[in-house]
Amino acid sequence: MMTQLLSVIGALFTWIENTSIARNVAESAMLTASLSGIHLLGFTLVTGGALIANLRLLGVLLTQQSIPDVTLPAGRGILLGLAISLLSGALLFSGRAMEVSANGTFQIKMLLLVAAAVFHFSVASRVSADAQRARATAAVGLSLWIGLATAACAFILLE
Amino acid sequence: MTIVGFAEWLESTSLAILIRESAYGFAIVVAIHILGLTLSVGTLLWVDLRLLGVSLRSLRVSAVYRDLAPWFLAGFTVMLVSGVTLFTAFATSAYANVYFRIKIVALLLAGANALAFHVVTQRRSATWDNAPRPPAAVRIAGLTSLVLWVSVILAGRMMSYTMF
Repeated sequence: MMTQLLSVIGALFTWIENTSIARNVAESAMLTASLSGIHLLGFTLVTGGALIANLRLLGVLLTQQSIPDVTLPAGRGILLGLAISLLSGALLFSGRAMEVSANGTFQIKMLLLVAAAVFHFSVASRVSADAQRARATAAVGLSLWIGLATAACAFILLE
Repeated sequence: MTIVGFAEWLESTSLAILIRESAYGFAIVVAIHILGLTLSVGTLLWVDLRLLGVSLRSLRVSAVYRDLAPWFLAGFTVMLVSGVTLFTAFATSAYANVYFRIKIVALLLAGANALAFHVVTQRRSATWDNAPRPPAAVRIAGLTSLVLWVSVILAGRMMSYTMF
């Protein structure tokens, strides 16, 4: 069952790699570089927004404002950043889908991405009062986002 | 001494040699430089969004600036130290690289924009500190800052694809 699933995924990734978009990305250093730059812009929006939201939950900045007054705008920034990073990331991925998907560091990056985003939008953005719970939420959130950022750096620098 | 001569001297320092020859030195410093983006531009852009009147509109401009300043200042310190370290190791290649030059020009312009804002525009801040949509001069400062930092990031990324 597992091997069947893996071979379907493998076939899908091979098909993706052979699309003209993917080939253009794989063959053009300029295109890859530009997409990588855009991906980095998305990263800055995501992690900056996540930092500000979690620092508010920790009670470290903008404490004169209610938690939602900070976490809601920050959350919109995270969503926009995720959209930019996911789109540019998908295009970058398409050029080397088979190789990248098998990379352990990339797999960790994706797991942390899902964990950080799900945790943020299901738990962190629902916190409305300053308290122990807000600080605990921030600690978990920050660990996930910092973990994601570190995995992302490890992936591009150590592959 | 010429700029190229200075760059060659930098590359001969033990710090430069360490970065180039250690197994993980380069990767660690680059990782710090990328992670530092979160702390520096990642927080500053929210000041710019407030100046633009696009986000955090219920907060006073001065409150956003005051609370975020320690973070983006710490962030830019990290960027400066890690950036200078990387430059030291590859000074001649960086100096010759067009994207490096664009990045430095954009950095200097961002600094000039910030200076102009603090020295000129901010003087009248009492009249617009509370405004959800600040006056044009303030919004222009915010937009200019965003455009310049986007340029710095894009140019920086292009460097790594064209230098080695």
